[in-house]
Amino acid sequence: MSRPDVPVEPAEPVEPIIPVEQDPAVKVPLALEDWLAVGVLAILALITFVNVLVRYFTDQSFAWTEEISVFLLIVLTMAGGSTAFVRNHHIRIEAVADTGSPARQRRLALASNTVVLLFFILLTVLSVRLVIDEYVYEETSPAIGVPTWWYSIWLPVMAAAIALRTLGTLRRLLRTGAR
Amino acid sequence: MIAALLFAAFAALMVIGVPVCVALGVAGTLAIVLSNQDVAWFGLLAVPQNFYAGLAKYPLLAIPMFVLVGSIFDRSGVARRLVDLAISIVGRGPGMLPLVAIAVAMFLGGISGSGPACAAAVGAVMIAAMSRAGYPGSFSASVVAAGAATDILIPPSIAFIIYSVLVPGASVPALFAAGMVPGLLAGFALIVPTVWLARKHKMGTLEAHLPRPPFWASLRQASWGLAAPVLILGGMRLGWFTPTEAAVVAVFYGLFVGMCIHRTIKLRDLYVILREAAELSAVIMMVVALAGIFAWALSTLSIIDPITHAIVNSGLGEWGVLALLIVLLMTMGMFLDGISIFLIFVPLLMPIANAYGWDPVWFGVILTLKVALGQFTPPLAVNLMVSCRIARVPMESTVPWVVWLLGAMFLVLVAVLVFPQLALWLPHHLGY
Repeated sequence: MSRPDVPVEPAEPVEPIIPVEQDPAVKVPLALEDWLAVGVLAILALITFVNVLVRYFTDQSFAWTEEISVFLLIVLTMAGGSTAFVRNHHIRIEAVADTGSPARQRRLALASNTVVLLFFILLTVLSVRLVIDEYVYEETSPAIGVPTWWYSIWLPVMAAAIALRTLGTLRRLLRTGAR
Repeated sequence: MIAALLFAAFAALMVIGVPVCVALGVAGTLAIVLSNQDVAWFGLLAVPQNFYAGLAKYPLLAIPMFVLVGSIFDRSGVARRLVDLAISIVGRGPGMLPLVAIAVAMFLGGISGSGPACAAAVGAVMIAAMSRAGYPGSFSASVVAAGAATDILIPPSIAFIIYSVLVPGASVPALFAAGMVPGLLAGFALIVPTVWLARKHKMGTLEAHLPRPPFWASLRQASWGLAAPVLILGGMRLGWFTPTEAAVVAVFYGLFVGMCIHRTIKLRDLYVILREAAELSAVIMMVVALAGIFAWALSTLSIIDPITHAIVNSGLGEWGVLALLIVLLMTMGMFLDGISIFLIFVPLLMPIANAYGWDPVWFGVILTLKVALGQFTPPLAVNLMVSCRIARVPMESTVPWVVWLLGAMFLVLVAVLVFPQLALWLPHHLGY
């Protein structure tokens, strides 16, 4: 993980001594998804914590926050997942793909990124269908009663973002080959 | 036919280096298309529906929270203080530092729920200390990785949370309680070969003469860390909070200790901690979501029943099937991480477990023990990867040490197989 924000001389050694890893040279800064994921995770922790406190002091429960938490969980997964695709942090078998000649590594990286790209394009298209259905049939959420497409619209948006990120990765791969 | 294609596509994609999550999604999607060729849109709307449904589960919220607990306690300075306390008790004699590493890893297992986070926290403190004392880096890396593997058995544990989401019959508190005894046993089992190896090879004699840190001062320093598992596990036991809430309480407790008491976490570190935790949880949950599509395709193809039937009637007998499953999972564990193994195999294996009437909680502990072994079995060993990176040694160099530790933990697996009460006594006793 790249950790540019770590102070130069911490009070004691920052405990996980993992070598700094450079982010790939992206055009659109990864900070976009990073901040989204960081914000969502912080809000999730706060909502859950406030829930515990409120239940203790007032005997009430904020059951409706569950719906928002579940929705934020999905945004977190897509936003964090997007940067993980760019940084190549997703769980994968590296034994074959990351060994052998650079030419073979590049070919396999092109192939696997193309698969990822196609899958997320498909997911974008299909989830647009899903959102349209929910919009047309005016479905509302069970706990709060807002239209469900307010939540599900994020699925195609974030899936498209991942597709674009993967396109960027492919473009970088093709360029390194051209040189 | 379609089923064979499902697995073949999955295996092929995995080999060329497609991320596990996408490989699961693509294989599931292909199977859906092939079995719904006469339906509008080939029944593909099931893909986003299952993606959404796979994630939209409130219990999954425990995953990012426990991952966050791990990232925070990594940096909270708790590990170093626990190490000082442990050294003040056992000293620096031959074989004692590796013992401390395992003991502290087990203790942190009672706070965080993921092996690699624990390996990072313990490794950062212990590997440098052990190399100063004259232990080879490959040995230290093996010990830390193996010790951190007990983390997913000792509650809280992300592996158990995922198992519980997949298997409705096994509640999180029951699984947490069931993991306790096997987790402690695994830790003790690791200590035996570790101390024996260190003495046999006369390692770690360089600093044996150094004075021990003062006991009471170390205890006072470590008290904040010592209280954390009491808060988390005790709070859950007393019914103060659910597992998710316990995690979030631990998050704020860890932040308080790290920022106000030990002062190892600065305000600006928060962003790094949150980003790391967000990305790691997203990686886990992306597999969860897309495995949902895969599992759905499996269930609609109705291939699980015939396979279960064939296995149960194969004449291998209960123990034969169990042995076969262990061998299969061990093999898969060499190439895949534990969470992916759970998500792919639990839907396939539960019908078999049900056919034999195996207790789902016991079966979960067995699978988790297997996954714990996989976390430090080269070549794909998440814990070893972390500890080898810290020790700056290649993973191959750890093999002569790691085989002993694997053997010791495997004996615990056999013990839990033969005596299910090792896992089941505590949850029964606590009334889960």
